[in-house]
Amino acid sequence: MANTESLENVVLELRRGVIVLAALSQLGAAEYGYSLLKKLADLGLEVDQGTLYPLLRRLEAQGLLESDWKIEESRPRRYYVISTEGKKLLPKLKKEWTGIVSVMDRMLS
Amino acid sequence: MNLIDRYVAEVGRRLLLVKGRKDIENELRSTLDDMLEERASKAGTPADEAMQMELLKEYGAPHKVAQTYNPHPYLIGPRIYPFFTFILKIVLAAVAFGLSIALVIQIISQSPMSAAEFLSTVGKGILNIISVGIAVFGNMALVFALIERYAPAADFKMDEDKEWDPAALKKEPEPDEVKIWEPILAIVFTFIALSIFNFNPQLIGIYYLNGDGWQVTPLLSEAFFRWLPLLNVVWVAEIVLNGMLLRSGKWTNGARLFSIGIKLVQVFIIVMLLMGPSILALTPESMASGGITDPDAAGKLNELAHTAIKFALGFAVLGTVVEVIKSLYKMVTQK
Repeated sequence: MANTESLENVVLELRRGVIVLAALSQLGAAEYGYSLLKKLADLGLEVDQGTLYPLLRRLEAQGLLESDWKIEESRPRRYYVISTEGKKLLPKLKKEWTGIVSVMDRMLS
Repeated sequence: MNLIDRYVAEVGRRLLLVKGRKDIENELRSTLDDMLEERASKAGTPADEAMQMELLKEYGAPHKVAQTYNPHPYLIGPRIYPFFTFILKIVLAAVAFGLSIALVIQIISQSPMSAAEFLSTVGKGILNIISVGIAVFGNMALVFALIERYAPAADFKMDEDKEWDPAALKKEPEPDEVKIWEPILAIVFTFIALSIFNFNPQLIGIYYLNGDGWQVTPLLSEAFFRWLPLLNVVWVAEIVLNGMLLRSGKWTNGARLFSIGIKLVQVFIIVMLLMGPSILALTPESMASGGITDPDAAGKLNELAHTAIKFALGFAVLGTVVEVIKSLYKMVTQK
C-alpha cells in the first residue's frame, strides 16, 4: 500500500513540473482550456482539469500567457496563447529540459 | 437552473474571496458544456440528466475544484515561515524569561508564604506564562498571515532568496544600516509593554504609602484599555518589524513601508484617545485617598493632570507624524 502511494506521489511531482513546459509549448496558437487538454491527451500527456485550468490562470498572472474571451458556437470560450514574455522563456525551458533528460538518461541507463 | 449551473454556482460560492471568480465560473461552465456535448455526440443521444450527473461526478466535488483555484493555500507559506519561527522563538523566550522573573519577584515580595500559598502562586504563574505564550502565538500568527496575504513577494524577500556575498563581511557601514542593539532593545521593551498592559495592568498606577503599607491607585481608564486590542496588533507588528531589521541588518523600502504603516495606525489610535474621554482614571477622590487632603488642591491637580495628558498625546501625534515624514524622505532618497 505504502509503496503504491509513494509511487503515485513521485509520479505526481514529476508530472507537475512537466505540465508547465507542455502547456507553454502547445500554446503557440490560441487554444481554450478543454481543447488544450485534449491536444495534450492526444499527444500522450493526460492532465487533470483541476490541474490544467488553475495552471493556465497562474501562467497568465505571471505574464507568460495571454487570454481572451471569444464567442463560438454560441458559447463563450477563453482562449489562451503564449505571450512575448513566454516566447522568450520557452527556449530556455526547452534547453533546461533537454539537459535534464540527457543527465537522467545517463544516470538511469 | 440545470445541474451544471448549480454545480458552477456551488464552486463559485466557495471562491467568494478569489480574484476573477466570475471568469473562473464562466470558464468552468464552458468546459463542462463542451465535455457534455462531446459525450452526447459520442453516445449518439441528446445530453440528459444522467449524463450530466456522470460528468459532474468525474469532475469532482465542488469544494475540491474550488480549492485548486485558491491562490493562498497557506496561512503562513514557505516564503515567510522560517522568519515566523525565528521571531516566534525570540518572543516566546522573552515571554517565558520576563514572566519567570516577574514570578520570582512576586514570590520574594510576598514571602514569607505558606507552602500552599507558594504552590498556588507558582501554579498561577506557570498558567500565566502558558496563556501569555498562546496569546503571543495567536497575535504573531495573525500578523504573519496578513503579511502572507497582502505583502508583495518582492518586498519581503527572505535571506534565503538572496545570493550571499562574502564581500558583505567587509562592507563599510551604510546610512541605512541598523545597529544590532536597536531592534533587540525595541523587541524587549515592546514585549514588556505587551505583557504589562495585557496581563498586569494593575501595575500601572500611582504608588503611595499610608498606614496600611504601599497602596496603588489605577492610572489609566477604560477609555484607554478599549484600544488595547489594536495596540496589541501594533506592538506585535513592531516586534515583527524589528525582527526583520535584526535579520536583514538594514532598512529596506519594504521595512520602511511596514514601519510607516505601523506609525499611521499609532497616529490613528492616539487621535482616537485624544478625541474620546480622558484616558486617566484619576479623580479628585482618588487623589484625596493618595494623601492630598485639601479638596481644592486635589481638584486643581486632577484638572492639571487631565490637561497634561492631552498635551502629551498631542505631542505624540506630532512626533509620530514627523517620523513618518522622515521615513518617507529616506525612502525617496534611498538608492
